[in-house]
Amino acid sequence: MKLKKSTYGYLLFFAVLTLFPFINDPKWLTVITTFCIYSVVALSVDIVLGRAGMFDMGHALFFGLGAYITAIMNVQFGINVLYALPLVVVVPAIFAIALSSPIVHLRGDYLLVATVGMNIVFEQTLKNNLFGLTGGPNGIFGVDSYVFGFSLDEPLTIYYIAFFLLLGTLLLIRNLERSKAGRALHYIQEDPLASESIGISARFYRVFSFALGAGVAGLAGWVFSIQYSAVSPEAFNFMTSVLFFAIVLVGGKASIPGILAGTFIMFVLPEIFIEFATARYFFFGIAMILSMILRPEGMFPAKYGKLPKYVTEDK
Amino acid sequence: MDIFLQQVVNGLTIGSIYALVALGYTMVYGVMKLINFAHGDMVALSAYIGLVLYTQLAGLGFIPQPLTVVLVFLITALVIAIFGVLLERIAYRPLRTAPRLSAVVSALGASMMIQNGIMLVWGPNILIFPADILPAISWNVAGVTITFIQAAMIIITILLMISLTLFINYTKMGTAIRASAINQDAAKLMGINVNLVIMIIFVIGSILGAVGGLFIGMYYRGITFNLGWVYGLNAFIAAILGGIGNIPGSMIGGYLLGLFTALIAGYVSSAWAEAFTFILLILILIVRPTGILGERVAEKV
Repeated sequence: MKLKKSTYGYLLFFAVLTLFPFINDPKWLTVITTFCIYSVVALSVDIVLGRAGMFDMGHALFFGLGAYITAIMNVQFGINVLYALPLVVVVPAIFAIALSSPIVHLRGDYLLVATVGMNIVFEQTLKNNLFGLTGGPNGIFGVDSYVFGFSLDEPLTIYYIAFFLLLGTLLLIRNLERSKAGRALHYIQEDPLASESIGISARFYRVFSFALGAGVAGLAGWVFSIQYSAVSPEAFNFMTSVLFFAIVLVGGKASIPGILAGTFIMFVLPEIFIEFATARYFFFGIAMILSMILRPEGMFPAKYGKLPKYVTEDK
Repeated sequence: MDIFLQQVVNGLTIGSIYALVALGYTMVYGVMKLINFAHGDMVALSAYIGLVLYTQLAGLGFIPQPLTVVLVFLITALVIAIFGVLLERIAYRPLRTAPRLSAVVSALGASMMIQNGIMLVWGPNILIFPADILPAISWNVAGVTITFIQAAMIIITILLMISLTLFINYTKMGTAIRASAINQDAAKLMGINVNLVIMIIFVIGSILGAVGGLFIGMYYRGITFNLGWVYGLNAFIAAILGGIGNIPGSMIGGYLLGLFTALIAGYVSSAWAEAFTFILLILILIVRPTGILGERVAEKV
């Protein structure tokens, strides 16, 4: 069987990530761990923004929810991080359903502003130390990730956890693309009116995409809070949401290579050009304008399935 | 009762800033259907440029104080208007036919560029406007203190709004702006130069934003490079509150939001004021997304 070009690309990508720890440089291992976590968040934003076509600029809320649930359970109540695992998926998903249900019918920009609003309310809640649980502006320190005699925040362990999370997310998205739900989302994005008229509930699938994206982002938040063994409101503010929003659109909606490349540019390149650290967002701003002018559909626009040969062929 | 009236005065002052900045958002949205995210940062930029100009002009020593202030306002407005036109030329015009989201990302990019450009030039620390720019007079009316700057801000804002309303409703260019907002293609067919209309909109929006930025600097005195997002988002909420794309709506929305924030800060909690503002926004979007005077926004689905 002949493999597709993209398959080789993914195999190479996975091989590089699997063997990466042999470089044995703790700094880069941390950077690439962060890259894996942020890629997962960017892919979860893409489920809502790229696949369901809803302008979601508040996704850091769900990422932060996962991280904060882990930190609060572990630090404030002394519960093992492993038991937080189901909650970091379910709670953000429930929040997503509750928050998105009343607003999914809004037209693009209005939805965008509503999600921004939710993110800012979330950030302020964290900063104001709600019920004395969220730790105020400094966040929560000292997440203890000791499980079955292993410490999960060892650089190598957390790297592989993040890597497997990324693998799992990619698998989930591949399955989503080939499932009824994925096709429905694509259809709703193309033409909501037509999809409604053949019995696909736009409302249901839009809320579904929010819940799925939130669950994945919450899981990424779990890994994040273990990696840094701390959480703070700044990591989940509205600026973070803006970055993920930009990653998806600069990379290309619903395009996995594009989003991975976008995450790489936003989070790994700055580590290479560390001397320009203060000017980082200045150059990102310019790059965002330029990339949109040159490639308005993103760096690697997603290609949707080709028409079968017998349709296009001249008879 | 005294606290209430005092908060009303404060609210009207903040509301003036919101209303001025909101007009920039609403006019661009009305014609281009684009949230100009960089507008808030233009407002921040104007505060910095105003501060530099004031320090330079006051340093010369021979210009009388009132003239210095007027000059600062005029030159800042001019500079920001030029920036506004450049912004539209560089970041938005090439994307006018592109997908909507591309223009949004370009606007976000422009916002990040301006905000961090300010940080690179003037540094990340807070800068302070001198206290003696305007006379420190204040009046005491029925237990309520009104300072000179508050009175000046409210009066200038109202004058600017009256002139804008007259301009939009009674001039040829104003009619062209309203026509382009309703239907750009039809406006083009009627011989309206839509490119010129968009340029004029950016000039007017930037001038109003520049005045707002200078007010922020003179009233609050401390300015930081990221103040654009704070005031920008609030002004944007004001625009939605009044009905985005609707000019009188933004003015009303600005003042209502100013009163709302001031009363929340006065009676409930200032630490939660921002959260309340955004909860108000979300409630408006759920209950009446068109705003007070706005158009229909929900999809037909």
